[in-house]
Amino acid sequence: MSKIRVEHLKYRYPSSEKLALDDLSFEVDEGEMIGIIGRNGAGKSTLCQAFVGLVPHFYRGAYGGKVVVSGLEVLKSSVSQLARRVGIVFQNPFTQVTGSKWTVYEEVAFGLENLGVPRKEMIDRIDYALQLLGMEKYRDRHPFDLSGGQMQRMAIASVIALQPEILVLDEPTSQLDPQGSEEVFRAVHRLREEGMTVILAEHNMEKIARYCNRVMLLDGGKIIDFASPASVFSRADLTRYGVVPPVYTRVCRELNAKREGSPHFPVTLEEACEVLKGR
Amino acid sequence: MKTFSLYVPRDSLIHRINPIDKILYTITAIAVPLILPSMAASFLCMLISLSLLAAARVVRQSLPVFAFVFLILCTVVLIQGWFYPGNQTPLFGVEPFVFHAEGLMKACRIGIRVTNVVAAFLLLVLTTKPADLVEELVRRGLSPRIGYVLDSIFQILPQMMNTTRTILDAQRSRGLETEGSLWVRVKAFLPLIVPVVMSSLIHAKERALALEVRGLHFEGQRTWLREKRTYPYSREIRGGLLLVLTASIVWRILG
Repeated sequence: MSKIRVEHLKYRYPSSEKLALDDLSFEVDEGEMIGIIGRNGAGKSTLCQAFVGLVPHFYRGAYGGKVVVSGLEVLKSSVSQLARRVGIVFQNPFTQVTGSKWTVYEEVAFGLENLGVPRKEMIDRIDYALQLLGMEKYRDRHPFDLSGGQMQRMAIASVIALQPEILVLDEPTSQLDPQGSEEVFRAVHRLREEGMTVILAEHNMEKIARYCNRVMLLDGGKIIDFASPASVFSRADLTRYGVVPPVYTRVCRELNAKREGSPHFPVTLEEACEVLKGR
Repeated sequence: MKTFSLYVPRDSLIHRINPIDKILYTITAIAVPLILPSMAASFLCMLISLSLLAAARVVRQSLPVFAFVFLILCTVVLIQGWFYPGNQTPLFGVEPFVFHAEGLMKACRIGIRVTNVVAAFLLLVLTTKPADLVEELVRRGLSPRIGYVLDSIFQILPQMMNTTRTILDAQRSRGLETEGSLWVRVKAFLPLIVPVVMSSLIHAKERALALEVRGLHFEGQRTWLREKRTYPYSREIRGGLLLVLTASIVWRILG
């Protein structure tokens, strides 16, 4: 059954004349990890926020079509209702800290308190989320005293504690150093192993190629392509959409080293090694 | 972690009292000298507030505040002592700066009242964790959103000051003169305030989004991570304060 169903979604911000999302239709199945790529302004963040109801409920603006996430129609549900089904993590770890709590543990509890989760259950969920994100040892630290990577993992833990069925990550590592970024990706990988459906907007194509099973290429609010990473990254016209394919794909393209029996170039280090060793 | 809170962690009975009861005490301690204008009443209230500060073992932390207040009170003594309209009995000094008994009495009364108000407020502020107070208020029906704003002030403002400092350093490193004559400072104001305001607005919007998806606007019943705390002597304190207030009103009407 599809976790996310989008039908002819069109959206325009109130202050803009241009459509930010232009007639998008697609479905995402349970347990999938979808990468969203495209240049700045292609509509990645807007699409991410359309899954959780911030588009249109927070921004207002003109909205058309239909988005259904795990059975809830976004247009007819409040952001708080949707928060229990789909969680979102934003770019800047710093602005996701509520600033009203004094420990990491309390910070993770924030959403649960708001949504009225009983105390006993709350404690179980926080412990689980902190453990899953490898944050138990920081539970008594002050939220603002964490490093960027730790703060972002805390933000993910706060969302995971709400037990969503879908996790949306909007460029979660763009403001982190390589180490922090790696921490976050490892955490996301673990979540995926738990069966979570993940949507990831990201500029790091190597990571997208490594972790996602399908990639959506956006440009000007339209879907250009939505297929396997190998298929999308093998497109010859990617640079036209402001996307540079993973370095492994670029190397293999130059060497014209395709996988045996496949029309596509390798997209990960392992695949590239395999193909190049065989030559 | 830097914060604006003046709270001093101590293990005293005063610290364990319900924050709401402390607010009620502060209100009573300010109200009684207003109801009973006699110097004795003000003096008594001041003494009680001061001894409670001592009992909470936060006298040292309250000294800087009192020092500042006394500085202002000194000017009150001078002005009232010299120029109080009811001045009749000259005590000492040289014309036209002669201290009068009436003016000094007036200054004394003002001083006691101000000290009383400051001490009563300090008792609340120094012995109460802001988060505890807000939680207690939200449990009693304050909107959780207002509660959030009150809670976050103590952390978001220091963070904004950090941002401001970063921007100040950044602009300086690009050659902006921020020190020197008044004109230099005025010229530096715009290139500083614009990025500060812009970044604050962007941060506020991003934080609003993050809060929204954590259910800040959820309409149902909320819950708390912390168990409801029981505070000692709540009933006795409230009864006592009510008694004192009623007694002073009755006294005023009869007396």
